Amino acid sequence: MSDMENKEVVEEQKSAYNLLTKKDVKHSWINWLFHNQANYNYERMMGIGFMHSMVPIAKKLYKEDVDKQREMLKRHSGFFNCEPCLGSSIAGLTAAMEEQKAAGGDIDGEAIMSVKTGLMGPISGIGDSVIQGVIVPLLLAFAIDMSGNGNVLAPIVYCLIMIAVVFGISYSLYMMGYQKGSEAILNVLENGVVNKLIAGANIMGCMVLGALVANYVSMSCGIVIQQSADSAFNVQEQLFDAIVPNLLPLLMTLGCYKMLKKGLSSVKVLLIIVAIGVVGGLTGILG
Amino acid sequence: MSAIQAGLLGILYYLGNSSILAGPIGYYTVYRPLVGGFLTGLVLGDPVTGVMVGATINLMYIGFISAGGALPGDMCLAGILGAALAITGGLDTEAALAIAVPIGLIGTILWFGRLTLDSIFVHIADRYIENNQPNKVWIPSVLLPQVMLFFMTAIPCFLAAYFGANYIEGAINALGGTVLGILIIIGGMMPALGIGLTLLYIFKGEARVFFFVGFLIAVYLELSMIAVGFLALCCAIIYTQIKNSKGGEVNV
Repeated sequence: MSDMENKEVVEEQKSAYNLLTKKDVKHSWINWLFHNQANYNYERMMGIGFMHSMVPIAKKLYKEDVDKQREMLKRHSGFFNCEPCLGSSIAGLTAAMEEQKAAGGDIDGEAIMSVKTGLMGPISGIGDSVIQGVIVPLLLAFAIDMSGNGNVLAPIVYCLIMIAVVFGISYSLYMMGYQKGSEAILNVLENGVVNKLIAGANIMGCMVLGALVANYVSMSCGIVIQQSADSAFNVQEQLFDAIVPNLLPLLMTLGCYKMLKKGLSSVKVLLIIVAIGVVGGLTGILG
Repeated sequence: MSAIQAGLLGILYYLGNSSILAGPIGYYTVYRPLVGGFLTGLVLGDPVTGVMVGATINLMYIGFISAGGALPGDMCLAGILGAALAITGGLDTEAALAIAVPIGLIGTILWFGRLTLDSIFVHIADRYIENNQPNKVWIPSVLLPQVMLFFMTAIPCFLAAYFGANYIEGAINALGGTVLGILIIIGGMMPALGIGLTLLYIFKGEARVFFFVGFLIAVYLELSMIAVGFLALCCAIIYTQIKNSKGGEVNV
């Protein structure tokens, strides 16, 4: 390790457990970013990916002690599933805790595991709602709007922004987890600022989704009732559109939400939509 | 379509699913039909049609999120094959959307198959750790599952792209107007599922009313999504500011 690197490390870490270099930590982050779902499986979800991100850490911390190395990697090869961007904070935090343990700090394997698995749920909750719930649909909606006449810049701009967002969040949160430790993450989670941020993101997301329903879900009633020879009652135009245009898409979306909330799997809801489409299309109720 | 082009599309489908493109990046970029359709268009020499068809197919999957390992519909395969068949088979956007519906459903099987078969490699990883060979962990973590994924994704996509274009026009004609019409109706309703899935995560507490606000301003004012996005940002800021000045807690 060169002097400059050494200095950097001392500045950026809790100086007491100075066992890992910046290189080890970056290597671990890269492993996490690229391979967290390389082996995505029903048995342990991202478990093997998480363990893979800990390999550089374990090799450095227990260079001479293969038994401890094995013990640490076994500890981290169990079940793990988290939203990958925000989940990188857990990988960083775990690296910090393992370093602390290897340095003889007051923490054991069980404590590391309980912090790690305890954070999995809440961090996924925030990650799924902010990244998959707000950022991605919003950017996609912008890009799709922009792509109107086959504008090839739309997908390119979307990709560039998305790559910057994912790399930026993943890297900075890994480093935050590593440098600031579990208390910082718990503080941030409980802190009012994050709650406000999530509340704001939820408001923004809800509003955008409402607009998406109006713009992109399409469903209309095809029933036309022949009242007399020259007058027909068009259910869609004269009933639904008169109340609120796009009422059916709104009801359909809320119906899907209710079914999912009741615990129906998304695949089942999809099959229900297919069934509605087949029945509605054959009978002419939908059209 | 030449075999090389079809092969490139197979590789494209693999990249959308793989971890080579930084796991989450591929899932957020190539996996989306807007991007997949564009790249398919580049391969086939018609990026403009690729973008247009991709964007239309992407609408079906606008809010689709994968949470907890469940993914209802393979938008990547739908985007690539939908755009490819539209370009080479001369389909219009609507027909491309219709055939993208069943393609997306079939693609889901690959996802389930992959997550099931990947479990085999988990035990190889366990064995390497047991034998103190952490340097070999990458084999069951990346190499084997990715090679398997390559064969599972690239080959079916290659075959469908290579042989599909010749038959697609005939198939569409054989299906007739009713089937096509039903597929288009289903495609129109599909964004409701994606949006419903996303709502599960954010349709909470005091934010709920804003869902209806967004719906109503889009219906009555016919604003573009970009306009709604900025308006939504302002609403969120104003709302939290008012909450703060009253000293109230913001409920999540």
